[in-house]
Amino acid sequence: MADEFIKGLTIATAGGLGWMVLAGWYRTSSFESAAQLVEPVTVEGPDLFNGIAIALMDVLLWFAILGALAFWVLIPVGRELRATYDERRSS
Amino acid sequence: MTDNNDNTTAETDGGTGIVAPDDETPTWSERKARKTGLSRLTYEYFERSRREDQDLRTESDYVERDVLGFPTWPHETVRNLSIASFFVGMIFFLSATLPPHIGPPANPSSTPAIILPDWYLYWSFGLLKLSPVNPELSILGGQKLMADRTYGVLANVVVVGFIAMVPFLNKGSARRPVEQPFWAAVGVGGVVFAFTISVLAVQNLVPMNIDLLFDLTFLLPIVAGIVTYAVLKTMREGYMYDLNRRYYRLRPPR
Repeated sequence: MADEFIKGLTIATAGGLGWMVLAGWYRTSSFESAAQLVEPVTVEGPDLFNGIAIALMDVLLWFAILGALAFWVLIPVGRELRATYDERRSS
Repeated sequence: MTDNNDNTTAETDGGTGIVAPDDETPTWSERKARKTGLSRLTYEYFERSRREDQDLRTESDYVERDVLGFPTWPHETVRNLSIASFFVGMIFFLSATLPPHIGPPANPSSTPAIILPDWYLYWSFGLLKLSPVNPELSILGGQKLMADRTYGVLANVVVVGFIAMVPFLNKGSARRPVEQPFWAAVGVGGVVFAFTISVLAVQNLVPMNIDLLFDLTFLLPIVAGIVTYAVLKTMREGYMYDLNRRYYRLRPPR
């Protein structure tokens, strides 16, 4: 159980950190803005690296959310279900 | 179960049968039928975690030794160095990737509309707004004994004095809130009061009637404390007080 927790926490923090940095680059006009990190994307020049970073931003965000969800909710629920199923079958 | 089974297994729950052995795990309907309340739930929770802990220790091949701590060198030093390196590296990383915008210098000739201290001092700022409870004494002909601002500053003394007094009233021997419900309730009330008095400090920004906000500032901590006390008092029946004994007492030498 503790292993699953630390896996989910690692994914959430590492993915969230990467997303925060990229969103701070591409979606933040000012750090005093109330909508920082979620503003529409502003790019000066559309080159390859900007394209990769913008795509990576969404990938990291969903990785952080879905990864934590998988390790904290889905996998434990699956194990509980399997244990219950085996128990019902054996009894 | 047949009689050939190993009956020497320790009764880990004191023989009450609340937590079943692994081969007799109750079904959900059985569990529901025997659920009688929060105290039973508390007992099952702690007994289950204690049982898991015991099983893990049994499976582990790590040799337990009676030690009080680890030596400063190398154990603690290496650990602290690695933690310090992590945080220094994190500071470097964030300052390199997200350099904060440096705004224009403050204009000393214009006063901002809203002046607030840093958020962690809101509670003290809120204590300066206690003028509704500064009593108008009839013996002075309806005059107040002291100015509202003096009253607010003295309120700080009262709060700090109470916080300084608590360690003398309770030495903190409880390992979990459930062991001392009253003091846990006092603590929860204090935390909630710190929050509500902070909200009172920024009352201009709260979309609520000021008088209602002022009343809630003092009522919510009391309500939270009472609820905490009731819940913990109910839980205490099912709590095992010798649960932590092995962690805080050295085992006798064999």
